[in-house]
Amino acid sequence: MKKTASIFLGLSLLAMMACTKTDNLAGPDSGFQGNLVDATAGGKSNVLTETGGMQIKLEELSWSATPTPQYIPSKPDGTFEDSQLFKGHYRVTPYGGAFWPVDPIELDINGMTSHDFTITPYAHITGLTWQLDTTTLTMNFKIDPPVKTGLPQIIDVRSYINVDKYVGAGATISQYTDGSLDGSEQIRCFESINADWNETMATKTFTLKIRNLKRGRTYYARVGVRFNDSFKSSNLSEIFQVDVK
Amino acid sequence: MKKILYILSIAFAGTYFAACHSLDLAPLNVIQDKDVFNSEAGVTAYMATLYRALPIEDFFYKPEGSGFGRDWQQFYHPGALCGELCGPYGGTGDGAQGFGYWPYDNIRTVNYLLENLPANAKNFDQTKVNGWLGEAYFCRAYFYFAMAKRYGGIPIIKQVQNYPAQSIEDLQVHRDKEEDVWKFIGSDLDSAYLLMPETSVRGRANRYVAAALKSRAMLYAGCIAKYGSVNYVAGDARNQGLVGIPAADANGFFQQAFDAAKLLEGKYDLYKKGYPDKVKNYVDAFLDPSSVENILVKDYSLTTNTAHSWDATMTCRYMTADGLSRAYPTMELVERFGGALPLTNADGTPRRFNTTAELMQGLQPRLLATIYFPGATLRGRTFDVQRGIYKHFTGTAAAELGTNPPNAQDRILSGSTAQLYPENDPNGIRVIGFTGVWTGGDELTRTGFYVRKYVDYNRDQSACGLYMSTQSWIDMRYGEVLLNRAEAAMELGNKTDATASINLLRDRAGAPAANEATITIDTVRNERLIELAFEKHTWWDLRRWRIADKLLDNTKYHALLPYYVYDEKKYIFLREVEPYQRSYTFDKKWYYEPIPGGELGKNPNLYPNNPNY
Repeated sequence: MKKTASIFLGLSLLAMMACTKTDNLAGPDSGFQGNLVDATAGGKSNVLTETGGMQIKLEELSWSATPTPQYIPSKPDGTFEDSQLFKGHYRVTPYGGAFWPVDPIELDINGMTSHDFTITPYAHITGLTWQLDTTTLTMNFKIDPPVKTGLPQIIDVRSYINVDKYVGAGATISQYTDGSLDGSEQIRCFESINADWNETMATKTFTLKIRNLKRGRTYYARVGVRFNDSFKSSNLSEIFQVDVK
Repeated sequence: MKKILYILSIAFAGTYFAACHSLDLAPLNVIQDKDVFNSEAGVTAYMATLYRALPIEDFFYKPEGSGFGRDWQQFYHPGALCGELCGPYGGTGDGAQGFGYWPYDNIRTVNYLLENLPANAKNFDQTKVNGWLGEAYFCRAYFYFAMAKRYGGIPIIKQVQNYPAQSIEDLQVHRDKEEDVWKFIGSDLDSAYLLMPETSVRGRANRYVAAALKSRAMLYAGCIAKYGSVNYVAGDARNQGLVGIPAADANGFFQQAFDAAKLLEGKYDLYKKGYPDKVKNYVDAFLDPSSVENILVKDYSLTTNTAHSWDATMTCRYMTADGLSRAYPTMELVERFGGALPLTNADGTPRRFNTTAELMQGLQPRLLATIYFPGATLRGRTFDVQRGIYKHFTGTAAAELGTNPPNAQDRILSGSTAQLYPENDPNGIRVIGFTGVWTGGDELTRTGFYVRKYVDYNRDQSACGLYMSTQSWIDMRYGEVLLNRAEAAMELGNKTDATASINLLRDRAGAPAANEATITIDTVRNERLIELAFEKHTWWDLRRWRIADKLLDNTKYHALLPYYVYDEKKYIFLREVEPYQRSYTFDKKWYYEPIPGGELGKNPNLYPNNPNY
């Protein structure tokens, strides 16, 4: 019995010893951060987006010409950051949002590397006003695309609402976003458009309503316009806070 | 010493030289080309491996995971990704990216036959050889079709590749353009049509099977050209033509689809043996092995250990011996047959019914034959569907489904068929039905309906266990060919022909005839979605029409939920969102599946991958 135990002990010691050798590869000690700057705002402000509303696509070219891409999701303020990357030569592309496609650039990531991308969103939401009438939230706004030629078809305009500040197409309370609760055209939280941009839209004020908000809650809301590009992505307004009393 | 040397040299010579002779023999445990290609039995056996590998999307087929394997869970049905069924999938993405189907090993088996059979042709009658070659072309087209509809352009391999005779660089082939792949499929099927005879044994191809497949495949190609050039995802693969077909070529493909479908006219027919009962007739069309409608079938049996589990997994345990069900037809599918069901009165209040079965009166026979409604019977048992009890019910159905339902406090639901109302009253009424809808899991219906198509009603309940069902899968039937023809005709502007084809189906279905003046492409598409319901076409159809991202846009599906109104002793039906409230969204990049990662790793020339992967 004692013999078996000591053999086991010896074996397990051996097994554990096998793990002690450390590898000599550098850890993911580099990072990549920056801003998604709105080209039409004189380079002064970032594009309004949501968590993961846009991404930075990274392709590490140090080892392969056809790497599997990795992505850094954007933050709501139009910044991005990943602090756990390997040092190397990368091809980076802003990707997957409602903006005019831009060409990739190649750069070396070594330590915390910063780079700002300048992009042109498909559209801005302008003149947003809102009012709360007991439990019904009414929002008025216009759509203003900086570049109109070749703009992807507009699918719809939609309201988004959530109980925290992370609100957007990917974070919304569905019953307030997905439909007209009583089927009528007057009371609705989205409007289908499914049309190319035209001058009527330039002057039109869109009105969306969210009904039956719960009393005593604080909500965060915004509106968005969705385009039928490769990603069916949206341009979003600023976020406003709604206290329902 | 000398003696030992003699013995040693004799032993050496004896073993060494003799060994040369016997080792020169071909291995007896490996079947040689001469065994296969010199006898009819050999070729037949070779063909069997091909047919066995054909990517027929039968009862077993799942859009992800085990793919063409033999999983018992037949409710993992592609219809549950796209609104035909409410099933176990949490959303469309669960099955949209495939399972890495890449059958180049099977294509090699075809190519090997195409290269080696002609050399042995002298052993056989030339018609036979031609027939086999035709079958090989048919199978190759079938494999390529299954890949083209998933990946777009893939490498076209027409010859047997050899390693190490060819270098790795030679074997790392490039993707071909999507359009070339579809043309290759068309030309293989043309070869198959010319080479094969008019008839074949059950389960194998003849020239009309090739024509039927061609009508299907060319319709896909035409739609990808026409609609894929409008609704697409940008990317390198698209810029290089690896996915996408120029719109100008759409009509050429539609014409080929139409011509191919027309070849079957007079050769096959719709099943009408069960007339005048159109419900029974339509049910039997999928169960009668002698149906004249069947073009290509796949058979199953207990003795060969190939039986499937459709009966055990498409209806609940109340009617079966084993297994469980998890996929249920949606209200949206039901409404495609003939519009909204008559659930409410003119004033918006729910209609009162004496039994749930009353709702079936006057519905289209094909609808009743495709879907089991509450109150229908199977194996002597009734689909006892009841969502719950309203102690009393006032007002309209719309108000009850709004945000402030007036009768909510009078509604009782349950997770157990044992629960009675009033509680503890031996004469109480069960709150839910034996076949649903409960608040527990999803092993009883979520939508009020069960699948009826292909369910074998003649089978004893005790014989409805897992891997015990043997009804054949109909991979191609004349009904589909008529739909291919009608759709191609509509795309080519031939409304007369489209209307005639649709009306053949509608007459058999017991549905009102279509009118040439009002027929549109949507009429034809809707007919296809209902005629081919649960036959695993819808997922591909919505994709090739490039409308999946519009139909599946954060979409929820609806249920038909029966309630018993206690004080009135009547039933009402409410059209509610199905109890799981799942929403389905189709990402546009899913119009193509990604090239499998393992293949990309082996062959960098398969890049670029499809857009946005």
